[in-house]
Amino acid sequence: MGEIKQIRLCGLGGQGIVLGGTILGHAGINDGKWVAGSSSYGAEARGSACRSEVIISDEPIIFPHVTRPDILIAMSQEAYDKYIKDMGRDEETVIYDEQMVCTKEISGLRQLGFPAGNVATKELENKLVANVVILGIVAEVTRIVSQDALLSAIEKNVPERFKALNLRAAELGLALGRAKK
Amino acid sequence: MAWKEVRSALPPGNYYYSGNEAAAEGAIAAGCRYYGGYPITPSSEIMEWIAVRFREVGGVFIQMEDEIASLSSVIGASWAGAKAMTATSGPGFSLMQEGIGYAAMTETPIVIVDIQRAGPATGQATRVGGGDIMQAKWGSQGDYPVIAISPWSVQEMYDQTINAFNLAERYRVPVILLAEQAVGHLRERMDVREKIAIFNRRKEKGAAPFGGGDDGVPPMPAFGEGEKLLVTGSSHDDYGLRKVADPLVQARLTARLHNKIVNNREEIIEYEDYYAEDADVIVIAYGFTARSSLFAVERLRREGKKVGMIKLKTIWPFADTLTRDVGSRAKKIFVPEMNRGQIAGEIMKYTCCDIIPYNQTDGEIIHPTTIMGELRRLL
Repeated sequence: MGEIKQIRLCGLGGQGIVLGGTILGHAGINDGKWVAGSSSYGAEARGSACRSEVIISDEPIIFPHVTRPDILIAMSQEAYDKYIKDMGRDEETVIYDEQMVCTKEISGLRQLGFPAGNVATKELENKLVANVVILGIVAEVTRIVSQDALLSAIEKNVPERFKALNLRAAELGLALGRAKK
Repeated sequence: MAWKEVRSALPPGNYYYSGNEAAAEGAIAAGCRYYGGYPITPSSEIMEWIAVRFREVGGVFIQMEDEIASLSSVIGASWAGAKAMTATSGPGFSLMQEGIGYAAMTETPIVIVDIQRAGPATGQATRVGGGDIMQAKWGSQGDYPVIAISPWSVQEMYDQTINAFNLAERYRVPVILLAEQAVGHLRERMDVREKIAIFNRRKEKGAAPFGGGDDGVPPMPAFGEGEKLLVTGSSHDDYGLRKVADPLVQARLTARLHNKIVNNREEIIEYEDYYAEDADVIVIAYGFTARSSLFAVERLRREGKKVGMIKLKTIWPFADTLTRDVGSRAKKIFVPEMNRGQIAGEIMKYTCCDIIPYNQTDGEIIHPTTIMGELRRLL
């Protein structure tokens, strides 16, 4: 059996959760993996609970929805509170934005906070790329996708005029991840 | 024959597409160059993708005033010689029923993608459903043939849209891609091959455009090619002349429309068999539910349970011979569906085997754990 990794990204509508999932999935394709991604969100464009899921596998994926996440990426308190109950085994990781989420202590669970939103606001003067900062962190900390695959996926999924900004956001995320390791 | 190999419109490779995007690309690959449609969740991405890509490949895209006009324009485009399609969901599919009957009667090759959502009526626009199975076959008046296909993955959204065009052109019939929201909005790896096989409608100078040959499928000229061409939804003879009181013409026409599909059904019908050979309990499933089912079946097989699955790829014409055969081997047939038992009822027509339907209509997909639980009770 090859490796299968299940990733859940969650937060609020408007934070780029769905795009984040698409970029991550695309990165998996770039790495030559099998990928399935799905998302759910409310009818509102912004402010409602939002979830995006990605499965990255060495083999074809039969059931394409996440059954048990290996990695939870939380960008809002509400989303963290809702999905943290699915986590708790060893080898699982939670990555969260430390300005947005206060964590619960869960023994054995690796929970890593990063100032993603803060870095996006201060260094790039654009809060909206916090999602891509997080993706850089995830790539560095978990190695579910390679750095090159991530950067190329970003180029394919953001409009031309935002490419440089998003690539910079990913680089900052990769650096944040390296610093924590 | 009118089969040929063509280069794929997309460069070969692995893509990360949604099911809706894959259907749009499949249509373009098959040679579709007309799209008339009206946006509706959860199908709109097909239209959006087509609108952008047609500017690159040279197609005509028109947003019509509603779904009745959309399908009418698609039928017109087909008679002008183009491969033509539309996409919609439940409420729009209902409006298209009149056009589907007209296309079946006039033997017009068209493709309709129905991304099913939770119904009835406007139901839940963003949620999944599978309630249009019977409507696809019986939605218009007067007993007519269609072909309907149920894809379970993004790859099949691409491959089966190509297949849908080939079948439409081969048999001069409306073909419906009966997908579900869960597949339309799923994103997956999609592999594009360099070459694909394409069937283009047969043409024969001076031949009767409604006559039928050995296989019951007549050649099809387009307007502007110099043929004397009459197209009518009223009953007509081999040359399209209205015959609205002639019992012989009516009997021949209706029988031929039916037989050109039924007599060729072994060539049309596709299915996949997973562990069904020695299984006591066989799941018959289609679309997204077949993925949940296969996940459950494989888990139970690892425990040594004798369970298998048949995945229906073709819904209409229905796999009657296959059903008879499965029914004669299995002790029980389990049929999970996102409707109130539409295919379960169809299966009951062809076998006396014990049929256990499982019907979930809450706007959510049927989860593998649900299917596993139900199967455990049957084993």
